[in-house]
Amino acid sequence: MTGVEVVADDLVEFRASLDTWLDANGAVLAPGYEGAGELDQQMDQLAKVKALLFDAGWGRAGWPERVGGLGGSTLTRAYLGEALAARDLVEPGLFSMTEVLAPTVIEYAAPALAASVVPALLRGDETWCQGFSEPDTGSNLAALACRAVRTDDGWRVTGEKLWTSLAQYADRCVLLVRTGTTESAHRGITALFVDMDSPGITVRPIGTMHGGAEFSELFLDDVVVPFSRTLGDEGAGWTVAMDLLPYERSTSLWHRAAFLHRRLQEALESAPPEALDPSRLGEVTELLYAFRARSRGTQHRMADGDRLGPETSIDKVLLATAEQAVFDLVADALAPEVTTGDDPRSRRWRSEYLYSRAASIYGGSAEIQRNIIARRLLDLGDDR
Amino acid sequence: MDPEDLVLFERSLGDAAGRATGSGLDAALDQLGWRDALADDPSAAVSLLFEQQGAAGTTSSALGLVLADALVGNAGPGTGTVLPAIGGCTPPGTVVAGRLRVRGLAPAGLVDQPSALVVASSGADLAAVTVPTASLGLRAIGGVDPELGLLEVTGDVDRTRPARAVSPATWAAAVALARLAVAHELVGASRAMLGLACDHARGRLQFGRPIASFQAVRHRLAETQVAISTAEAMLDAAWLDTTPERSAMAKAVAGRQARTTARHCQQVLAGMGFTVEHPFHRYVRRSLVLDALLGTAASLTTSLGAELIDRRQLPPLLPL
Repeated sequence: MTGVEVVADDLVEFRASLDTWLDANGAVLAPGYEGAGELDQQMDQLAKVKALLFDAGWGRAGWPERVGGLGGSTLTRAYLGEALAARDLVEPGLFSMTEVLAPTVIEYAAPALAASVVPALLRGDETWCQGFSEPDTGSNLAALACRAVRTDDGWRVTGEKLWTSLAQYADRCVLLVRTGTTESAHRGITALFVDMDSPGITVRPIGTMHGGAEFSELFLDDVVVPFSRTLGDEGAGWTVAMDLLPYERSTSLWHRAAFLHRRLQEALESAPPEALDPSRLGEVTELLYAFRARSRGTQHRMADGDRLGPETSIDKVLLATAEQAVFDLVADALAPEVTTGDDPRSRRWRSEYLYSRAASIYGGSAEIQRNIIARRLLDLGDDR
Repeated sequence: MDPEDLVLFERSLGDAAGRATGSGLDAALDQLGWRDALADDPSAAVSLLFEQQGAAGTTSSALGLVLADALVGNAGPGTGTVLPAIGGCTPPGTVVAGRLRVRGLAPAGLVDQPSALVVASSGADLAAVTVPTASLGLRAIGGVDPELGLLEVTGDVDRTRPARAVSPATWAAAVALARLAVAHELVGASRAMLGLACDHARGRLQFGRPIASFQAVRHRLAETQVAISTAEAMLDAAWLDTTPERSAMAKAVAGRQARTTARHCQQVLAGMGFTVEHPFHRYVRRSLVLDALLGTAASLTTSLGAELIDRRQLPPLLPL
């Protein structure tokens, strides 16, 4: 699996050599199942591909050397995810979890901790999850109630988390907890890096509409977390979370755009021509290109070292709009497959159609993104 | 242009486009050397001028210059350009039996130019012909936006002058550039509409609070911001590598987002934005014409879709 040098500071060269490598190793990288596969299979495939990529160097490009990376531009990470999505080698949402969580730990964990845990995430030896939302705090994150108190042994954490993606597979969790009073709102929140095998953690996977159990409910009962696992300072959890959220709307959205492009192309190839309305197909294509054009700008700003902020809410709104438009078109163009097909390919179309319904809900709902745009980008003041 | 020059140039263009319109703006552009900038750095010259023009609601002959420049290089002083008739990109001239028939549009400034450049089709061939402006019929168009000062150009003249052959690819490239110019103008007009609506929402009190505090209003304005950013992103992408297909997509998105912008901002501005005492109506009128100029969003989008179904292949991906 070697023989190609990984050049992480030149995108053109990186792209060409990665494509060569992926094509040469296509058989080893390919999933062993048809269609979308079950979630367990997708996770195994993800771990296999990440290990192969890491060992050959591709999975280390664009990450800092102090956490096992090769340095170089973050654009290489964007292209890696694009290339994998374009070949259907990994489920893009699962693959992109790394892009959401690793930057946070790199920035806020003690250097020795980051150096010991991040390589395992990059190589796919570990899975991490993000414990933010709670049963009573979905969009209103600042009201979270999962409590951590200081003891001689470290933090003791008790509470519940909800919508925690991949928690049942996870080895670690980036967890937001309340360390101040309830009234302290966003000022009294602290971020912790928690081992998921700690005594007192119970995970209950929740079945979803699109199949599988992508997210879980997480119960924490007097879980001990060492102080050395605090990310950033006590009370700085809101900053940690706010810095993480733009990452959720950068590289991972570029990966998603590549995935949507592949699906729209497949629909265009397999739909009967009379099932495709030219004006609608034209509009969906334009929308998808606009989303990609917008996300391209964000990738370059991130690679240039700009701090990403509320403007990435526009990228998230566009993702949700484009993804739902693509799969709404699929539902009409491939109606027999989506509605009554039972072969693996039809099941995949159906699952992805249903998953697209969540695009305007997860990662900050469409309403929350519009609130951010109104307040932070248009300066429209408070909404009360 | 280096970044410093660019800032200065943008400011000068903004001043000019904010102060003067029609022949006044044409004169200011001559003085600023806009034409040289168009040859040196088309993306800067086109994007800066047309966005400012769109935002100010003014007009100039620059669109004709964009087309001429791409077709024949500098057509020289004294020559205006005839644009395709509203709604499409068909060359404005046809040559039949040695006569040149003209049916097109022109910016108001054509009346000041002794000659006019007309691209004409003759069977499958295209040629650029220069004719005396006096030989053409010019009628000031009223329409939905009289302030735009567009002229309807008609003619049936002897083809006395030599024609210069234009390849279909050159024509397509010229139209692509002109479409980007119009798309930038649409973005400028849209930004102006959003600015008016946001100002109004912050200042207008109802039920004892600014209407900007109501989510129904905020979300409309946020939606508008997304729509305009979408068009801007498409334009950035189109300038990276200007193909006719990418330019048509950018123009389509700009036209559609301008209609979306007008709809949301009209609703937020409510009764005040419906009067002629408020500047909003001027942008609604302008964007309606600009959307139709060189092809409406609807027609460009439908032809794109038909083409995709035909070849079963999406347009080439924008590279990272």
